[in-house]
Amino acid sequence: MAKHETPLLDELEKGPWPSFVSDIKREAASRAKNEKNVEFQIPAEVCEDLLGVVELSYHEGETHWKHGGIVGVFGYGGGVIGRYCDQPQQFPGVAHFHTMRVNQPSGLYYSTDFLRQLCDLWEFRGSGMTNMHGSTGDIVLLGTTTPQLEEVFHELTHKFETDLGGSGSNLRTPSCCLGMSRCEFACYDTQAICHEFTNVYQDFLHRPAFPYKFKFKFDGCPNCCVASIARSDLSFIGLWRDNIRIDQEAVKAYIGGEIPPNGGAHADRDWGKFDIQKEIIDLCPTKCMWMEGDTLKINDKECNHCMHCINAMPRALRIGEDRGCALLLGAKAPILDGAQMGTLIVPFIKVEPPYDPIHELIEKIFDFWMEEGKNRERVGETMKRFGLAKYLEIMDLKPDPRMIKEPRANPYIFWKEEEVPGGWDRKIEDYRSRHQM
Amino acid sequence: MAFISSGYDPKNPMKDRITDIGPKHYEQFLPPVIKKNFGKWLYHEILEPGILMHKAESGDEVYTIRVGTPRIMSVSTIREVCDIADKYCKGHVRWTTRNNLEFMVDSKDLVEPLKQDLTSRKHTGGSYKFPIGGTGACMTNIIHTQGWVHCHTAATDASGTVKSVMDDLFDEFQHMRLPAQLRVSMACCVNMCGAVHCSDIGFVGYHRKPPIIDHYHLDNLCEIPLAVAACPTAAIRPVKVDLPDGKKVNSVAVKNERCMFCGNCYTMCPAMPLSDGSGGDGLIIMVGGKVSNRISDPKFSKVVVAFIPNEPPRWPTLTKTIRQIIDAYSKDAHKYERLGEWAERIGWERFFEKTGLEFSWHLIDDFRDPAYNTWRQSTNFKF
Amino acid sequence: MDEAAARQAIIDGMQAKKGKSKFYFKDLNSMIPEMKTLQVKKLLGQMVNDQILEYWSSGSTTFYGLKGAGKQHSGEGEE
Repeated sequence: MAKHETPLLDELEKGPWPSFVSDIKREAASRAKNEKNVEFQIPAEVCEDLLGVVELSYHEGETHWKHGGIVGVFGYGGGVIGRYCDQPQQFPGVAHFHTMRVNQPSGLYYSTDFLRQLCDLWEFRGSGMTNMHGSTGDIVLLGTTTPQLEEVFHELTHKFETDLGGSGSNLRTPSCCLGMSRCEFACYDTQAICHEFTNVYQDFLHRPAFPYKFKFKFDGCPNCCVASIARSDLSFIGLWRDNIRIDQEAVKAYIGGEIPPNGGAHADRDWGKFDIQKEIIDLCPTKCMWMEGDTLKINDKECNHCMHCINAMPRALRIGEDRGCALLLGAKAPILDGAQMGTLIVPFIKVEPPYDPIHELIEKIFDFWMEEGKNRERVGETMKRFGLAKYLEIMDLKPDPRMIKEPRANPYIFWKEEEVPGGWDRKIEDYRSRHQM
Repeated sequence: MAFISSGYDPKNPMKDRITDIGPKHYEQFLPPVIKKNFGKWLYHEILEPGILMHKAESGDEVYTIRVGTPRIMSVSTIREVCDIADKYCKGHVRWTTRNNLEFMVDSKDLVEPLKQDLTSRKHTGGSYKFPIGGTGACMTNIIHTQGWVHCHTAATDASGTVKSVMDDLFDEFQHMRLPAQLRVSMACCVNMCGAVHCSDIGFVGYHRKPPIIDHYHLDNLCEIPLAVAACPTAAIRPVKVDLPDGKKVNSVAVKNERCMFCGNCYTMCPAMPLSDGSGGDGLIIMVGGKVSNRISDPKFSKVVVAFIPNEPPRWPTLTKTIRQIIDAYSKDAHKYERLGEWAERIGWERFFEKTGLEFSWHLIDDFRDPAYNTWRQSTNFKF
Repeated sequence: MDEAAARQAIIDGMQAKKGKSKFYFKDLNSMIPEMKTLQVKKLLGQMVNDQILEYWSSGSTTFYGLKGAGKQHSGEGEE
C-alpha cells in the first residue's frame, strides 16, 4: 500500500517511454521490503514522500522545494546543492533532500563493480535515486540528509577513489565526448585531457575564487556532441589541418548504392538513390569538392572541416592526420545579457601531454578574469566588455582573420598612441607656424 | 535507524581526510574491445535504429545497443543495468551525454539476444525500461533538468513534460525517418541548465508573475542586501513596510515591470517565492538551434511559442504543438537539413505558416542590444 | 603583510559591513590589496579549514561568510 495516493503521477506510468514514476515507485517498494536488511541512514519512506510531494506539485502547479546554501562538505565550496521541502510535516522523508554531484569518469564508461558499489552506498546513505547524469556531466546523487553528506564524501574518497564535482563559483566538472575510445572522428584524446585537467585544476574545482562558474568541455570534432561550443567557457573542438583521407573505392561503393550514406542514418525513409552531387558536393559549404569521372576531388586548402562529407561517407572519407584542436572562449546560456557561443581565440593548437601551452593560456585566462571580472560575470562577458581585440592583446594571442566573421563596419578604431608616428603630443606653436588663427 | 559512521569524525574533520583526487581514471572502465582498439577506429554503421557497429583497423567490431532513459534512475534499475551488462557485455556499460545507455558487445551473435532481452523488460506500469533507438535521423533522447522533483525555481515539471513528449513521439525515437537528427531539450526555468538554447526544439518552464513578497518573514529569513544584489535587472530595492498590526519591518519592493522571472531572488531569499499554479506559470517553445558545425554554423534557438499552459499530468497542448512543428519540418525539409536550416531556407514567415503557429508581438526581440539584429532590414521577404 | 594581519583584515572587513554576512571572493580580495589573488584564495581556503569562514552557495555562485553569521542558518533549519 502506497503511503500517498498519486493519481496524477500514475498517469505518467502509461505510455512506452520509461516512466520515472514507475522507477521511483520501484525504489519505494524496494525500500519498504528491504530484503537485504539495509540499515537505511535516511528515512526508508524517502521515495514515498518524494512521490507525495511531486504529486502535490502536479495538483497545485507549484514547486515545493527551497534552496539551501550552507550545506556542503567541509572545506569545499561546491559539489552539494542544498534542498529542503516546504511541507516537511507532510513529507518528512524529504524534509532534507540534498544533491551530491560526483565527478564522473571521462567518457561515462563504467564497470558494473563500480556501479554496484555506488548503488549500495546510495541505498544505504541516500534516497536510492540518481540522475545519470546531470547536465554538466556529473553523477548526481539525488536526496540525502545533512548528516550524511560527510559520510558519503568519506566513503567516496576512501573506498571509491572518487571526488565530488563542482558547483557555485568554481571550475565545474570538466566533461568530454567519448573521443578516441569509440569514434573515428576524434581529432585528439578527449578523455585523456579531460581527466588530466580535472586533476590539475582540482583546487579551482573545490575552492571558489572565480567571479562565477567556469566550464571546460572537450569535443573531439566539429560535430560537438558535448555541445562545448554552446555551453563551455573554454571549448576544445578537435580539428585537422591537412587533407581529408579519401578511399576512392569506397566513394564508388557509395555512388553505386552498396554502402548506405551517413552510416545508414536515414534508413527508415525512402530518400531515393544516393546522389553524390546533390547530397555531398552541392551541400559542401565551401564548394571545394567535385568529381572527375568517378574520382572524388577535394581542394583541402578551401575545406572548413564542417564534417558533412565525412559524416555522410564515413567509409570513404576520414579526418586528416595533422590533428589538434581549436579553442573557443565564452559560451553561456541566455541569462543574463543573452546567450553566447564560444568565440574562436586559438584556431589550432596541438593537444599533446603535458599540454604546457594550453596550461599557460588557461593561467592567463583565469588570472585576468579573477582580477577584472565583475561579480557573477562569465568570462565571455568579460571578454565582450573589453572587446575581442583588447582581450587578445591581454592574452598575448595574435589577431587572426579566422577569429572574426567579418571586419568591423565602422571606422572608429581606438588607435594606440605608440602606433602613430610621433605620438599624440603636438605643439600648437608648430601648427600655428603653418596655419593662421 | 542507528547512525553508522563511515569513519568520519565530525569533531576533527581534517583527520584522514582525502580531498582533491578527482574522478577514477576512465581507462579501468573501458570494455576490453574498446581498450584494445582505442584511437584505431575506421568507420561506423547504424545497422538498425539504436544499433551501431564500429569497425577497427584490427578488424574487430564492436556492436552498441543504445537505449533511452529518463535520466532519473533508481539504484534498483542501475543494478538491473549491471545484471544485463554482466550477462552480455563483460561487466561494462556506458552512458551518452544525452542520458542514453549503451550496451556494447564484441560479437554480432550477442546483438539479437541482447536486443530481445532489453525490449522484454518493462516497468510495472507497462513502459519500457530500455527502449532501443536514438540514432541517426531520429528524435534523440530529450535532455532535461530537475523540475518539481528537485528544483526550487522550476516553473513546470521536467520529467513529466519529457515523458509526455517522448510518449507522443516515441516512433520518432525508434525510427530514422526525419530529414536529420532532431535534438530536443527541456529546461524548467529561464536559467536553462543544459543546452536548451542551442537545440532543434527546446521547451522551457516559464514564470510570468514577479515574486510575492512575504513582508512578515523576509527580514527574519533573508539578508536584504543579498536579495537586492541577486536581481539581474536591479528591480529590487530595500524598503520599510508597515504591517497591518502596526509593526514596522525592513523588507524589499520589486519594480514589477523590470522582473524577468528568473527566480534568482528566491534562491537568495525564501521569502520571495514566485511559483504560480493559478495560470501564471507554463512553458515556452524555442526552435532552430544546433551545436554542430556541420554545413552551417551553430545556431541559437528562437522563441516561436510565447506561452503554453501547465497541464499536468500529460501537458496535451505542449505535446500537440511540438508534434505540429516536427510534422511540418519532417514533411518539408530536405535530407540532411536541420530544423533551423530549414526555417532559414524557407524564411520565418513561411515557418509560421507551415507550422500553423501564431505569431504575436511576444516573439519580437526587445531584450537589450542584440534585438535590433533580429529585425528585418531588407525587402527580401515572402508573401 | 603577514598572514595573521591578512586574516585580521578580512575578519574586520567582513564585520564592518552591517547587515551583510555573505561576500564574493572579489570583495574579500579587495580587502587585502597587497596580497596576490592566488595567495588570497589559499588563505581563505585555510580560514575555512580553521572554521573561521564558511561557504554559502546559491548553486551557481559561492559566497564566503564568517562561520555562523547571517540569517541563513535558522532560515535553512540547520541549527
